[in-house]
Amino acid sequence: MTAPRSPSDTPIVSVRDLSMIFPTPGGQTVALQDANLQIMPGEFISLIGPSGCGKTTLLRLMADLIQPTGGELLVNGGTPRKARENRAYGYVFQAPALMEWRNVLNNVKLPLDVMNTPKAQRDSRAREMLKLVGLEKFERSYPWQLSGGMQQRVSIARALAFDPAMLFMDEPFGALDEITRENLNLELLRLWRETGKTVVFVTHSISEAVFLSTRVVVMTARPGKIEGIVDIGLPHPRSDDSREDPRFFEYATQIRELLKKGHS
Amino acid sequence: MTTAPTPTTLPRAARRPSNLFPMLGVALAALVLYWPLMLWANSGQAARSLASGADLGCKTALACATQLRNPVIPAPGQFASGFTSLSVPPLAPTSAPYNALVTGGETLLGLALASVLGLVLATLLVRSRSFERATLPWLVASQTVPIVALAPMLAVLLGQYGVQGFLPKAIIAAYIAFFPIAIGMAQGLRSPDPLQLDLMRTYRASPAQVFGLLQVPASLPYLFTSLKVAATAALVGSIVAEISTISFSGLGKMLAENSRASDTVALWVIMIYGAALGIVLVALIGGLERLVTRWRPPA
Repeated sequence: MTAPRSPSDTPIVSVRDLSMIFPTPGGQTVALQDANLQIMPGEFISLIGPSGCGKTTLLRLMADLIQPTGGELLVNGGTPRKARENRAYGYVFQAPALMEWRNVLNNVKLPLDVMNTPKAQRDSRAREMLKLVGLEKFERSYPWQLSGGMQQRVSIARALAFDPAMLFMDEPFGALDEITRENLNLELLRLWRETGKTVVFVTHSISEAVFLSTRVVVMTARPGKIEGIVDIGLPHPRSDDSREDPRFFEYATQIRELLKKGHS
Repeated sequence: MTTAPTPTTLPRAARRPSNLFPMLGVALAALVLYWPLMLWANSGQAARSLASGADLGCKTALACATQLRNPVIPAPGQFASGFTSLSVPPLAPTSAPYNALVTGGETLLGLALASVLGLVLATLLVRSRSFERATLPWLVASQTVPIVALAPMLAVLLGQYGVQGFLPKAIIAAYIAFFPIAIGMAQGLRSPDPLQLDLMRTYRASPAQVFGLLQVPASLPYLFTSLKVAATAALVGSIVAEISTISFSGLGKMLAENSRASDTVALWVIMIYGAALGIVLVALIGGLERLVTRWRPPA
Protein backbone atom coordinates (compact mmCIF):
# COMPACT_ATOMS: atom_id res chain seq x y z
CA MET A 1 0.00 0.00 0.00
CA THR A 2 1.36 3.35 -1.01
CA ALA A 3 -1.02 5.70 0.78
CA PRO A 4 0.78 8.37 2.79
CA ARG A 5 -0.79 7.30 6.05
CA SER A 6 -0.70 3.70 7.13
CA PRO A 7 -4.31 2.55 6.83
CA SER A 8 -5.79 1.03 9.94
CA ASP A 9 -7.59 -2.31 9.83
CA THR A 10 -11.14 -0.93 10.07
CA PRO A 11 -12.54 0.25 6.77
CA ILE A 12 -13.93 3.79 6.68
CA VAL A 13 -16.48 2.72 4.05
CA SER A 14 -17.88 -0.78 3.95
CA VAL A 15 -20.20 -1.85 1.11
CA ARG A 16 -21.90 -5.27 1.33
CA ASP A 17 -24.24 -6.67 -1.35
CA LEU A 18 -25.50 -3.15 -1.89
CA SER A 19 -28.33 -2.70 -4.40
CA MET A 20 -30.25 0.24 -5.73
CA ILE A 21 -33.32 -0.24 -7.87
CA PHE A 22 -35.14 2.76 -9.34
CA PRO A 23 -38.72 2.38 -10.46
CA THR A 24 -39.13 3.46 -14.07
CA PRO A 25 -42.20 3.67 -16.29
CA GLY A 26 -42.91 0.08 -17.37
CA GLY A 27 -40.53 -1.66 -14.99
CA GLN A 28 -37.46 -0.88 -12.94
CA THR A 29 -33.81 -0.02 -13.46
CA VAL A 30 -31.12 -1.81 -11.52
CA ALA A 31 -28.71 1.04 -10.94
CA LEU A 32 -26.49 -1.01 -8.67
CA GLN A 33 -26.44 -4.75 -8.08
CA ASP A 34 -24.76 -6.55 -5.17
CA ALA A 35 -21.80 -4.22 -4.86
CA ASN A 36 -19.02 -5.16 -2.43
CA LEU A 37 -16.18 -2.82 -1.50
CA GLN A 38 -14.04 -1.92 1.52
CA ILE A 39 -12.34 1.47 1.60
CA MET A 40 -9.55 2.02 4.14
CA PRO A 41 -8.87 5.39 5.77
CA GLY A 42 -6.49 7.52 3.74
CA GLU A 43 -7.11 5.71 0.46
CA PHE A 44 -7.76 7.40 -2.86
CA ILE A 45 -10.43 5.31 -4.56
CA SER A 46 -11.70 5.94 -8.06
CA LEU A 47 -14.98 4.57 -9.35
CA ILE A 48 -14.77 4.25 -13.12
CA GLY A 49 -17.18 3.03 -15.74
CA PRO A 50 -19.50 4.06 -18.57
CA SER A 51 -22.66 6.10 -18.01
CA GLY A 52 -25.31 4.08 -16.25
CA CYS A 53 -22.86 1.82 -14.39
CA GLY A 54 -23.99 3.13 -11.02
CA LYS A 55 -20.81 4.94 -10.01
CA THR A 56 -22.59 8.18 -9.14
CA THR A 57 -25.36 6.15 -7.52
CA LEU A 58 -22.82 4.41 -5.30
CA LEU A 59 -21.31 7.76 -4.28
CA ARG A 60 -24.72 9.29 -3.58
CA LEU A 61 -25.60 6.24 -1.47
CA MET A 62 -22.43 6.73 0.60
CA ALA A 63 -23.37 10.39 1.01
CA ASP A 64 -26.95 9.56 2.13
CA LEU A 65 -28.35 11.64 -0.73
CA ILE A 66 -30.34 8.53 -1.72
CA GLN A 67 -31.20 5.38 0.24
CA PRO A 68 -30.40 1.85 -0.94
CA THR A 69 -33.06 -0.74 -1.72
CA GLY A 70 -30.93 -3.63 -0.46
CA GLY A 71 -27.67 -4.62 1.21
CA GLU A 72 -25.54 -2.99 3.85
CA LEU A 73 -23.53 0.20 3.84
CA LEU A 74 -21.36 1.55 6.64
CA VAL A 75 -19.69 4.95 6.38
CA ASN A 76 -17.30 6.24 9.04
CA GLY A 77 -18.32 3.45 11.39
CA GLY A 78 -22.08 4.06 11.19
CA THR A 79 -24.98 4.50 8.81
CA PRO A 80 -24.55 6.92 5.90
CA ARG A 81 -27.19 9.09 7.54
CA LYS A 82 -25.13 9.34 10.70
CA ALA A 83 -22.02 10.12 8.67
CA ARG A 84 -23.85 12.91 6.90
CA GLU A 85 -25.26 14.28 10.13
CA ASN A 86 -21.79 14.18 11.67
CA ARG A 87 -20.50 16.07 8.62
CA ALA A 88 -18.00 13.31 7.96
CA TYR A 89 -17.59 14.06 4.26
CA GLY A 90 -17.28 16.97 1.88
CA TYR A 91 -19.01 16.53 -1.48
CA VAL A 92 -17.76 18.00 -4.74
CA PHE A 93 -20.35 17.87 -7.52
CA GLN A 94 -20.03 17.63 -11.30
CA ALA A 95 -20.82 21.35 -11.49
CA PRO A 96 -19.25 23.80 -9.01
CA ALA A 97 -22.74 24.68 -7.64
CA LEU A 98 -21.43 27.94 -6.19
CA MET A 99 -23.82 30.51 -4.78
CA GLU A 100 -23.59 33.26 -7.39
CA TRP A 101 -24.49 35.97 -4.85
CA ARG A 102 -21.56 35.08 -2.61
CA ASN A 103 -18.04 36.07 -3.46
CA VAL A 104 -15.30 33.43 -3.47
CA LEU A 105 -14.44 33.83 0.21
CA ASN A 106 -18.08 33.68 1.28
CA ASN A 107 -18.69 30.63 -0.88
CA VAL A 108 -15.91 28.78 0.93
CA LYS A 109 -17.43 30.02 4.21
CA LEU A 110 -20.88 28.64 3.38
CA PRO A 111 -20.51 25.32 5.26
CA LEU A 112 -19.03 27.18 8.22
CA ASP A 113 -22.03 29.53 8.23
CA VAL A 114 -24.40 26.56 8.14
CA MET A 115 -22.50 24.75 10.89
CA ASN A 116 -22.33 27.81 13.12
CA THR A 117 -18.55 27.74 13.38
CA PRO A 118 -17.39 30.54 15.70
CA LYS A 119 -17.44 33.69 13.56
CA ALA A 120 -13.83 34.58 14.28
CA GLN A 121 -12.62 31.32 12.77
CA ARG A 122 -14.68 31.40 9.57
CA ASP A 123 -12.64 33.97 7.64
CA SER A 124 -9.25 32.59 8.60
CA ARG A 125 -10.31 29.03 7.85
CA ALA A 126 -11.76 30.00 4.47
CA ARG A 127 -8.61 31.98 3.55
CA GLU A 128 -6.48 29.00 4.50
CA MET A 129 -8.50 26.78 2.16
CA LEU A 130 -8.29 29.31 -0.67
CA LYS A 131 -4.54 29.36 -0.26
CA LEU A 132 -4.52 25.58 -0.44
CA VAL A 133 -6.18 25.71 -3.88
CA GLY A 134 -4.15 28.74 -4.99
CA LEU A 135 -7.01 31.23 -5.18
CA GLU A 136 -6.15 33.52 -2.27
CA LYS A 137 -5.96 36.52 -4.62
CA PHE A 138 -9.54 36.00 -5.77
CA GLU A 139 -11.44 36.03 -2.51
CA ARG A 140 -13.44 39.12 -3.48
CA SER A 141 -14.36 37.89 -6.97
CA TYR A 142 -17.78 36.59 -7.82
CA PRO A 143 -18.31 33.17 -9.46
CA TRP A 144 -19.17 34.60 -12.89
CA GLN A 145 -15.74 36.24 -13.00
CA LEU A 146 -13.91 32.91 -12.70
CA SER A 147 -13.09 30.22 -15.26
CA GLY A 148 -14.66 26.77 -14.91
CA GLY A 149 -11.46 25.32 -13.46
CA MET A 150 -11.17 28.11 -10.89
CA GLN A 151 -14.83 27.66 -9.91
CA GLN A 152 -14.26 23.96 -9.34
CA ARG A 153 -11.23 24.75 -7.16
CA VAL A 154 -13.44 27.04 -5.07
CA SER A 155 -15.88 24.17 -4.64
CA ILE A 156 -13.03 21.88 -3.52
CA ALA A 157 -11.88 24.52 -1.01
CA ARG A 158 -15.50 24.72 0.19
CA ALA A 159 -15.69 20.93 0.63
CA LEU A 160 -12.50 20.98 2.71
CA ALA A 161 -13.43 24.05 4.78
CA PHE A 162 -15.01 22.13 7.66
CA ASP A 163 -12.23 19.53 7.68
CA PRO A 164 -14.28 16.40 6.95
CA ALA A 165 -12.64 12.97 7.18
CA MET A 166 -13.64 12.08 3.63
CA LEU A 167 -13.93 13.80 0.28
CA PHE A 168 -16.56 12.53 -2.16
CA MET A 169 -15.99 13.80 -5.69
CA ASP A 170 -18.45 13.17 -8.52
CA GLU A 171 -16.66 13.76 -11.85
CA PRO A 172 -15.44 17.12 -10.59
CA PHE A 173 -13.25 17.78 -13.63
CA GLY A 174 -15.53 16.21 -16.25
CA ALA A 175 -16.50 19.54 -17.79
CA LEU A 176 -12.95 20.92 -17.99
CA ASP A 177 -10.42 20.84 -20.80
CA GLU A 178 -7.62 18.28 -20.65
CA ILE A 179 -4.86 20.75 -19.73
CA THR A 180 -6.80 22.25 -16.84
CA ARG A 181 -7.85 18.78 -15.77
CA GLU A 182 -4.26 17.51 -15.58
CA ASN A 183 -3.21 20.55 -13.57
CA LEU A 184 -6.06 20.05 -11.16
CA ASN A 185 -5.21 16.34 -10.89
CA LEU A 186 -1.73 17.27 -9.69
CA GLU A 187 -3.18 19.76 -7.24
CA LEU A 188 -5.69 17.25 -5.94
CA LEU A 189 -2.95 14.69 -5.31
CA ARG A 190 -0.97 17.29 -3.37
CA LEU A 191 -4.08 18.17 -1.32
CA TRP A 192 -4.70 14.50 -0.63
CA ARG A 193 -1.12 13.98 0.58
CA GLU A 194 -1.20 17.14 2.72
CA THR A 195 -4.56 16.49 4.32
CA GLY A 196 -4.53 12.70 4.53
CA LYS A 197 -8.22 12.53 3.70
CA THR A 198 -9.96 9.50 2.26
CA VAL A 199 -11.06 10.36 -1.27
CA VAL A 200 -13.75 8.61 -3.30
CA PHE A 201 -13.56 9.92 -6.84
CA VAL A 202 -15.98 9.22 -9.69
CA THR A 203 -14.61 9.54 -13.22
CA HIS A 204 -14.91 8.09 -16.69
CA SER A 205 -11.34 8.85 -17.66
CA ILE A 206 -9.04 5.83 -17.38
CA SER A 207 -5.83 7.90 -17.26
CA GLU A 208 -7.26 10.18 -14.57
CA ALA A 209 -8.23 7.17 -12.45
CA VAL A 210 -4.80 5.52 -12.78
CA PHE A 211 -2.91 8.72 -12.12
CA LEU A 212 -4.84 9.64 -8.96
CA SER A 213 -5.80 6.45 -7.23
CA THR A 214 -4.47 3.90 -4.82
CA ARG A 215 -7.18 1.57 -6.12
CA VAL A 216 -9.53 1.78 -9.09
CA VAL A 217 -13.00 0.23 -8.85
CA VAL A 218 -14.10 -0.75 -12.36
CA MET A 219 -17.85 -0.77 -12.88
CA THR A 220 -20.03 -1.87 -15.78
CA ALA A 221 -23.57 -1.05 -16.82
CA ARG A 222 -26.93 -2.81 -17.20
CA PRO A 223 -27.13 -3.79 -14.46
CA GLY A 224 -24.66 -1.49 -12.68
CA LYS A 225 -22.12 -3.62 -10.87
CA ILE A 226 -18.49 -3.79 -9.79
CA GLU A 227 -16.54 -5.74 -12.41
CA GLY A 228 -13.19 -5.72 -10.64
CA ILE A 229 -10.77 -3.70 -8.52
CA VAL A 230 -7.27 -2.75 -9.70
CA ASP A 231 -4.50 -1.90 -7.23
CA ILE A 232 -2.39 0.96 -8.57
CA GLY A 233 1.22 0.36 -7.50
CA LEU A 234 2.67 3.61 -8.87
CA PRO A 235 4.89 5.23 -6.22
CA HIS A 236 3.98 8.50 -4.46
CA PRO A 237 4.44 11.37 -4.76
CA ARG A 238 3.33 11.17 -8.36
CA SER A 239 4.15 13.75 -10.99
CA ASP A 240 3.66 14.14 -14.72
CA ASP A 241 6.51 11.64 -15.11
CA SER A 242 4.26 8.98 -13.55
CA ARG A 243 2.23 9.13 -16.76
CA GLU A 244 5.32 7.88 -18.67
CA ASP A 245 5.88 4.94 -16.29
CA PRO A 246 5.39 1.60 -18.14
CA ARG A 247 3.26 0.41 -15.25
CA PHE A 248 0.89 3.32 -15.92
CA PHE A 249 0.03 1.73 -19.26
CA GLU A 250 -0.27 -1.74 -17.75
CA TYR A 251 -2.84 -0.52 -15.23
CA ALA A 252 -4.71 1.39 -17.91
CA THR A 253 -4.82 -1.75 -20.08
CA GLN A 254 -5.99 -3.84 -17.15
CA ILE A 255 -8.86 -1.40 -16.49
CA ARG A 256 -9.75 -1.28 -20.19
CA GLU A 257 -9.95 -5.08 -20.32
CA LEU A 258 -12.28 -5.14 -17.33
CA LEU A 259 -14.49 -2.48 -18.92
CA LYS A 260 -14.63 -4.51 -22.15
CA LYS A 261 -15.43 -7.69 -20.29
CA GLY A 262 -18.50 -6.03 -18.84
CA HIS A 263 -19.46 -4.73 -22.24
CA SER A 264 -19.51 -8.08 -24.07
CA MET B 1 0.78 24.41 -8.08
CA THR B 2 -0.71 26.04 -11.12
CA THR B 3 -0.26 29.76 -11.32
CA ALA B 4 -3.55 31.52 -11.37
CA PRO B 5 -4.00 34.57 -13.56
CA THR B 6 -3.82 37.85 -11.69
CA PRO B 7 -7.09 39.46 -10.66
CA THR B 8 -6.62 42.22 -13.22
CA THR B 9 -7.40 39.74 -15.99
CA LEU B 10 -10.82 38.93 -14.55
CA PRO B 11 -13.59 39.29 -17.05
CA ARG B 12 -15.64 42.41 -16.77
CA ALA B 13 -18.83 42.09 -18.72
CA ALA B 14 -18.86 44.42 -21.70
CA ARG B 15 -21.01 47.50 -21.28
CA ARG B 16 -24.37 47.14 -22.85
CA PRO B 17 -24.77 49.41 -25.87
CA SER B 18 -26.78 52.40 -24.73
CA ASN B 19 -30.48 52.59 -25.55
CA LEU B 20 -30.26 56.37 -25.54
CA PHE B 21 -29.85 56.99 -29.26
CA PRO B 22 -32.62 54.68 -30.49
CA MET B 23 -34.90 56.20 -27.84
CA LEU B 24 -34.02 59.75 -28.89
CA GLY B 25 -34.76 58.74 -32.48
CA VAL B 26 -38.30 57.75 -31.52
CA ALA B 27 -38.74 60.99 -29.55
CA LEU B 28 -37.59 62.99 -32.56
CA ALA B 29 -40.04 61.16 -34.84
CA ALA B 30 -42.85 61.87 -32.37
CA LEU B 31 -41.92 65.57 -32.32
CA VAL B 32 -41.87 65.75 -36.12
CA LEU B 33 -45.27 64.03 -36.32
CA TYR B 34 -46.76 66.06 -33.45
CA TRP B 35 -47.40 69.29 -35.37
CA PRO B 36 -49.30 67.87 -38.40
CA LEU B 37 -51.14 65.42 -36.16
CA MET B 38 -52.21 68.20 -33.80
CA LEU B 39 -53.46 70.38 -36.68
CA TRP B 40 -55.32 67.44 -38.24
CA ALA B 41 -56.89 66.35 -34.94
CA ASN B 42 -58.11 69.83 -34.01
CA SER B 43 -59.11 71.29 -37.37
CA GLY B 44 -62.42 69.44 -37.52
CA GLN B 45 -63.56 70.90 -34.23
CA ALA B 46 -62.24 74.32 -35.27
CA ALA B 47 -64.18 74.16 -38.54
CA ARG B 48 -67.38 73.26 -36.69
CA SER B 49 -66.89 76.12 -34.21
CA LEU B 50 -66.31 78.59 -37.05
CA ALA B 51 -69.39 77.32 -38.92
CA SER B 52 -71.53 77.87 -35.82
CA GLY B 53 -70.40 81.49 -35.85
CA ALA B 54 -68.24 81.43 -32.75
CA ASP B 55 -65.61 84.16 -32.57
CA LEU B 56 -62.28 82.43 -32.05
CA GLY B 57 -60.16 85.35 -33.12
CA CYS B 58 -59.00 83.51 -36.22
CA LYS B 59 -60.20 83.07 -39.77
CA THR B 60 -59.46 79.55 -41.04
CA ALA B 61 -59.92 76.14 -39.45
CA LEU B 62 -56.20 75.52 -39.70
CA ALA B 63 -55.34 78.79 -37.97
CA CYS B 64 -57.93 78.12 -35.27
CA ALA B 65 -56.58 74.61 -34.61
CA THR B 66 -54.10 75.99 -32.10
CA GLN B 67 -56.62 78.26 -30.35
CA LEU B 68 -59.36 75.85 -29.24
CA ARG B 69 -60.60 75.89 -25.68
CA ASN B 70 -60.64 72.11 -25.28
CA PRO B 71 -58.39 70.81 -28.06
CA VAL B 72 -58.04 67.10 -28.81
CA ILE B 73 -54.28 67.61 -28.85
CA PRO B 74 -53.08 70.86 -27.23
CA ALA B 75 -50.80 73.23 -29.14
CA PRO B 76 -47.35 73.89 -27.67
CA GLY B 77 -48.44 77.19 -26.10
CA GLN B 78 -51.48 75.54 -24.55
CA PHE B 79 -49.29 72.76 -23.18
CA ALA B 80 -46.95 75.34 -21.67
CA SER B 81 -49.65 77.37 -19.96
CA GLY B 82 -51.44 74.20 -18.84
CA PHE B 83 -48.26 72.91 -17.25
CA THR B 84 -47.62 76.20 -15.53
CA SER B 85 -51.11 76.60 -14.11
CA LEU B 86 -51.16 73.01 -12.85
CA SER B 87 -47.62 72.96 -11.48
CA VAL B 88 -47.15 76.31 -9.75
CA PRO B 89 -46.98 76.36 -6.76
CA PRO B 90 -46.04 72.68 -6.80
CA LEU B 91 -47.37 71.79 -3.36
CA ALA B 92 -50.76 73.47 -3.57
CA PRO B 93 -53.67 71.00 -3.14
CA THR B 94 -54.81 71.71 -6.70
CA SER B 95 -51.48 71.28 -8.40
CA ALA B 96 -50.35 68.17 -10.21
CA PRO B 97 -46.96 67.62 -8.50
CA TYR B 98 -48.60 67.53 -5.07
CA ASN B 99 -51.28 65.12 -6.26
CA ALA B 100 -48.67 62.99 -8.02
CA LEU B 101 -46.88 62.70 -4.68
CA VAL B 102 -50.11 61.57 -3.03
CA THR B 103 -50.71 58.94 -5.71
CA GLY B 104 -47.06 57.91 -5.59
CA GLY B 105 -47.24 57.52 -1.82
CA GLU B 106 -50.38 55.38 -2.08
CA THR B 107 -48.71 53.25 -4.74
CA LEU B 108 -45.53 52.76 -2.71
CA LEU B 109 -47.49 51.87 0.42
CA GLY B 110 -49.60 49.51 -1.69
CA LEU B 111 -46.42 47.93 -3.08
CA ALA B 112 -45.04 47.48 0.43
CA LEU B 113 -48.26 45.80 1.59
CA ALA B 114 -48.28 43.68 -1.58
CA SER B 115 -44.65 42.65 -1.03
CA VAL B 116 -45.33 41.42 2.50
CA LEU B 117 -48.44 39.54 1.38
CA GLY B 118 -46.66 38.24 -1.74
CA LEU B 119 -43.68 36.96 0.25
CA VAL B 120 -45.89 35.16 2.76
CA LEU B 121 -48.01 33.61 0.01
CA ALA B 122 -44.96 32.59 -2.03
CA THR B 123 -43.40 30.90 1.00
CA LEU B 124 -46.60 28.98 1.70
CA LEU B 125 -47.05 28.08 -1.99
CA VAL B 126 -43.52 26.66 -2.15
CA ARG B 127 -43.74 24.91 1.22
CA SER B 128 -47.01 23.11 0.78
CA ARG B 129 -48.44 21.43 -2.31
CA SER B 130 -51.86 21.20 -0.73
CA PHE B 131 -51.85 24.91 0.08
CA GLU B 132 -50.96 25.59 -3.54
CA ARG B 133 -53.71 23.33 -4.85
CA ALA B 134 -56.27 24.89 -2.52
CA THR B 135 -55.39 28.56 -2.98
CA LEU B 136 -53.79 29.11 -6.39
CA PRO B 137 -57.07 28.92 -8.34
CA TRP B 138 -58.59 31.46 -5.94
CA LEU B 139 -55.59 33.75 -6.26
CA VAL B 140 -55.97 33.62 -10.03
CA ALA B 141 -59.72 34.23 -9.68
CA SER B 142 -59.07 37.26 -7.45
CA GLN B 143 -57.23 38.87 -10.35
CA THR B 144 -60.10 38.40 -12.80
CA VAL B 145 -62.38 40.74 -10.84
CA PRO B 146 -62.33 44.11 -12.65
CA ILE B 147 -60.64 46.52 -10.27
CA VAL B 148 -63.00 49.35 -11.33
CA ALA B 149 -65.90 47.29 -10.06
CA LEU B 150 -64.17 46.20 -6.90
CA ALA B 151 -62.71 49.52 -5.79
CA PRO B 152 -65.91 51.36 -4.70
CA MET B 153 -67.11 48.29 -2.79
CA LEU B 154 -63.77 47.89 -1.02
CA ALA B 155 -63.75 51.58 -0.16
CA VAL B 156 -67.24 51.38 1.36
CA LEU B 157 -66.32 48.21 3.23
CA LEU B 158 -63.11 49.71 4.62
CA GLY B 159 -64.97 52.95 5.41
CA GLN B 160 -67.22 51.02 7.78
CA TYR B 161 -64.15 50.16 9.81
CA GLY B 162 -62.95 53.74 9.81
CA VAL B 163 -60.27 53.16 7.18
CA GLN B 164 -60.45 56.25 4.97
CA GLY B 165 -58.41 58.54 2.79
CA PHE B 166 -54.94 57.34 1.87
CA LEU B 167 -55.14 53.74 3.06
CA PRO B 168 -58.05 52.33 1.01
CA LYS B 169 -56.25 53.37 -2.19
CA ALA B 170 -53.06 51.70 -1.03
CA ILE B 171 -55.00 48.54 -0.22
CA ILE B 172 -56.65 48.53 -3.65
CA ALA B 173 -53.21 49.03 -5.24
CA ALA B 174 -51.91 46.13 -3.13
CA TYR B 175 -54.82 43.97 -4.29
CA ILE B 176 -53.55 44.17 -7.88
CA ALA B 177 -49.84 44.13 -7.05
CA PHE B 178 -49.58 41.16 -4.68
CA PHE B 179 -50.31 38.58 -7.37
CA PRO B 180 -47.30 39.10 -9.67
CA ILE B 181 -45.08 39.36 -6.58
CA ALA B 182 -46.38 36.10 -5.09
CA ILE B 183 -46.01 34.22 -8.39
CA GLY B 184 -42.56 35.67 -9.14
CA MET B 185 -41.28 34.99 -5.63
CA ALA B 186 -42.63 31.43 -5.68
CA GLN B 187 -40.75 30.87 -8.93
CA GLY B 188 -37.63 32.41 -7.38
CA LEU B 189 -37.82 30.30 -4.23
CA ARG B 190 -37.99 27.23 -6.46
CA SER B 191 -35.08 28.37 -8.64
CA PRO B 192 -32.07 26.90 -6.78
CA ASP B 193 -30.20 24.19 -8.64
CA PRO B 194 -30.84 20.59 -7.40
CA LEU B 195 -27.08 20.35 -6.78
CA GLN B 196 -27.23 23.39 -4.48
CA LEU B 197 -30.04 21.73 -2.55
CA ASP B 198 -28.01 18.49 -2.33
CA LEU B 199 -25.06 20.54 -1.13
CA MET B 200 -27.07 22.04 1.71
CA ARG B 201 -28.22 18.53 2.57
CA THR B 202 -24.61 17.32 2.87
CA TYR B 203 -24.09 20.12 5.43
CA ARG B 204 -27.15 18.95 7.41
CA ALA B 205 -28.65 22.42 6.91
CA SER B 206 -31.99 23.02 8.61
CA PRO B 207 -35.01 23.94 6.45
CA ALA B 208 -34.71 27.49 7.80
CA GLN B 209 -31.06 27.64 6.67
CA VAL B 210 -31.92 26.29 3.22
CA PHE B 211 -34.58 28.98 3.02
CA GLY B 212 -32.45 31.85 4.31
CA LEU B 213 -29.08 30.98 2.80
CA LEU B 214 -30.19 29.53 -0.52
CA GLN B 215 -33.81 30.08 -1.53
CA VAL B 216 -34.24 33.72 -0.52
CA PRO B 217 -31.03 35.06 -2.09
CA ALA B 218 -31.70 32.99 -5.23
CA SER B 219 -35.16 34.55 -5.50
CA LEU B 220 -34.06 38.21 -5.31
CA PRO B 221 -33.67 38.72 -9.08
CA TYR B 222 -37.16 37.23 -9.52
CA LEU B 223 -38.54 39.53 -6.82
CA PHE B 224 -37.28 42.66 -8.56
CA THR B 225 -38.57 41.57 -11.96
CA SER B 226 -42.04 41.04 -10.51
CA LEU B 227 -41.83 44.24 -8.45
CA LYS B 228 -41.41 46.23 -11.67
CA VAL B 229 -44.49 44.59 -13.15
CA ALA B 230 -46.33 45.10 -9.86
CA ALA B 231 -45.35 48.79 -9.63
CA THR B 232 -47.12 49.78 -12.84
CA ALA B 233 -50.11 47.64 -11.90
CA ALA B 234 -50.25 49.23 -8.44
CA LEU B 235 -50.12 52.71 -9.98
CA VAL B 236 -53.12 51.84 -12.16
CA GLY B 237 -54.78 50.48 -9.02
CA SER B 238 -54.35 53.62 -6.96
CA ILE B 239 -55.44 55.94 -9.80
CA VAL B 240 -58.53 53.81 -10.49
CA ALA B 241 -59.24 53.77 -6.75
CA GLU B 242 -59.02 57.57 -6.64
CA ILE B 243 -61.37 57.91 -9.60
CA SER B 244 -63.95 55.42 -8.43
CA THR B 245 -64.14 56.34 -4.75
CA ILE B 246 -64.57 59.57 -2.88
CA SER B 247 -61.18 61.26 -3.05
CA PHE B 248 -59.85 64.63 -2.02
CA SER B 249 -56.46 64.36 -3.63
CA GLY B 250 -54.44 62.30 -6.08
CA LEU B 251 -53.98 62.22 -9.85
CA GLY B 252 -57.13 60.11 -10.19
CA LYS B 253 -59.22 62.73 -8.42
CA MET B 254 -57.76 65.43 -10.75
CA LEU B 255 -58.53 63.25 -13.78
CA ALA B 256 -62.13 62.76 -12.64
CA GLU B 257 -62.66 66.50 -12.06
CA ASN B 258 -61.12 67.65 -15.31
CA SER B 259 -62.86 64.98 -17.29
CA ARG B 260 -66.21 66.26 -15.99
CA ALA B 261 -65.10 69.77 -17.02
CA SER B 262 -63.85 68.45 -20.41
CA ASP B 263 -60.60 70.30 -19.76
CA THR B 264 -58.50 68.38 -22.24
CA VAL B 265 -55.35 70.42 -21.70
CA ALA B 266 -55.40 69.59 -17.98
CA LEU B 267 -56.12 65.91 -18.76
CA TRP B 268 -53.07 65.81 -21.03
CA VAL B 269 -50.88 67.40 -18.38
CA ILE B 270 -52.11 65.02 -15.65
CA MET B 271 -51.60 62.07 -17.97
CA ILE B 272 -48.00 63.11 -18.54
CA TYR B 273 -47.50 63.45 -14.79
CA GLY B 274 -48.94 59.95 -14.36
CA ALA B 275 -46.58 58.52 -16.98
CA ALA B 276 -43.63 60.26 -15.33
CA LEU B 277 -44.68 58.87 -11.95
CA GLY B 278 -44.74 55.36 -13.40
CA ILE B 279 -41.24 55.81 -14.85
CA VAL B 280 -39.94 57.17 -11.52
CA LEU B 281 -41.40 54.19 -9.60
CA VAL B 282 -39.86 51.62 -11.95
CA ALA B 283 -36.54 53.51 -11.86
CA LEU B 284 -36.62 53.50 -8.05
CA ILE B 285 -37.07 49.73 -8.04
CA GLY B 286 -34.34 49.36 -10.64
CA GLY B 287 -31.97 51.39 -8.47
CA LEU B 288 -32.82 49.30 -5.43
CA GLU B 289 -32.24 46.16 -7.50
CA ARG B 290 -28.76 47.25 -8.57
CA LEU B 291 -27.97 48.06 -4.96
CA VAL B 292 -29.19 44.72 -3.60
CA THR B 293 -27.93 42.42 -6.38
CA ARG B 294 -24.48 43.93 -6.88
CA TRP B 295 -23.08 40.41 -7.26
CA ARG B 296 -24.67 40.01 -10.67
CA PRO B 297 -22.72 40.58 -13.85
CA PRO B 298 -23.78 43.83 -15.48
CA ALA B 299 -26.52 42.94 -17.94
